[in-house]
Amino acid sequence: MPRLSGKGYRQRPLRRYGFFVAVAGLVALLLLQTSPRLSQGVEPIRTAASDQLFHVTRPSLMDRLSGASAKERQILELEARVRELAQYKALALTMAERLEVYEEILNMQGEPGGAEVTARIMAETNGPFAEALLANAGATNGVIEGYFAENDRGLVGRVVQVGQRSSRILKVTDFNSRVPVMGEASGLRAIMFGGRDGFGRLTDLPEQGAFLPNERILTSGEGGLFPRGVVVGHVRGVEGKEIRVDLAMLNGQLSYVRLKPAISIPTPEAFPVEPEPVELAEGDGS
Amino acid sequence: MNWLSGFADSIALRWEAAGPRSRLIIGALVVALIGMVGLTPKSFFGVPLAWPYVGLIAAVGWGRSGMAFGPMVLLVLFGFAQDASQAPWGSHGLANLLIFGLAVLVNQTFDTERTPFLSFILPVVTLFSGIALVWVTASISSGHIVRVTPMLTAYFATLVVHMLIAPLFDLGTRANMNRGSVG
Repeated sequence: MPRLSGKGYRQRPLRRYGFFVAVAGLVALLLLQTSPRLSQGVEPIRTAASDQLFHVTRPSLMDRLSGASAKERQILELEARVRELAQYKALALTMAERLEVYEEILNMQGEPGGAEVTARIMAETNGPFAEALLANAGATNGVIEGYFAENDRGLVGRVVQVGQRSSRILKVTDFNSRVPVMGEASGLRAIMFGGRDGFGRLTDLPEQGAFLPNERILTSGEGGLFPRGVVVGHVRGVEGKEIRVDLAMLNGQLSYVRLKPAISIPTPEAFPVEPEPVELAEGDGS
Repeated sequence: MNWLSGFADSIALRWEAAGPRSRLIIGALVVALIGMVGLTPKSFFGVPLAWPYVGLIAAVGWGRSGMAFGPMVLLVLFGFAQDASQAPWGSHGLANLLIFGLAVLVNQTFDTERTPFLSFILPVVTLFSGIALVWVTASISSGHIVRVTPMLTAYFATLVVHMLIAPLFDLGTRANMNRGSVG
């Protein structure tokens, strides 16, 4: 193995001593820190240094370049949201169970179910005459006039015309549409029709009481046109005597809608009139 | 691509012409840059990255030029910066300094320039010694045997980075030559 003389090494005694002094100093520093009191004394220095040098929440340059930090932030937000929604889900399940029990106790008749169809929107008419949608489901799919349509956010409208393979839905934004609604919190009833600005308008307001600001508006189920409790929107504000409703369906997609049957309440039977018993003449019989 | 090779040639010429002090400053800046990036959480497309002990790389590189005050002071300072994470004060500085001393000793003892095998194997050994020293210090200070796997991944990262940036820690002088030094 090639080997050189340590001439240069020996020619630098001061540096060599400096080296050993530094090593000894560092060893002494390490040993001093074995004392808990001394160790606690230097902790503030570490904290200050950490504050300056580290920002653990700050993403690294590489993370920023690869977009990992943004994704990580988004994942954290979504995880927080999932946790929150899980709590709501548990609450909703509990309440649904309770509601079921109550309905059973009261022997209440629930909303009638029926065949539901998901249809794709083929065309949209937003002209001056009517605001309507054309869906690709018709009579052959079991759709009949009076079905109502909703998207992932809320009520879209009502089927007003049915073909063999298509149906026309009058949107709730149409001026001629009339939806019986109620406030979720206040419980007040009104009729909603479509305004010209994309908002709903409430009419036939109750004389007493007022809708709450930002209150959710649901279908009231009155008249049998729509089932009770379908989300319509929320109160946006009051303009003079008019209450405007921010329609929920506009926040969702309008490519597909779910067509559902409306309530069909059977006509009550006529009150049975029992024939009066014929009094038997005295002396008859035996 | 002539402009690229021309640019590379001019950089190489400038590096050749640079004195030990300039090279030391450049090396220190490289250590500071890599070290600063190393202080932040690192992952590459979700995979956590092992970060090299760049202070040890500098110690091995600067050790080839012999004993000098400049590199010693810088290595101790770098050590303190590394200690700010959670290590006892002085532990990384001690490792850097001892590896620097080992590198000086090895390079003065053996002619690493003329034996390619030595020039390859000595950094491998000295860097391993440095990592082992950090591991021993961490184990003693924490009171239990710390995990070996992270140290090994850091060691391999250090080796790879050493192969890439080792020339930046060449001060242009040799420990076995009686000329030119820093400090």
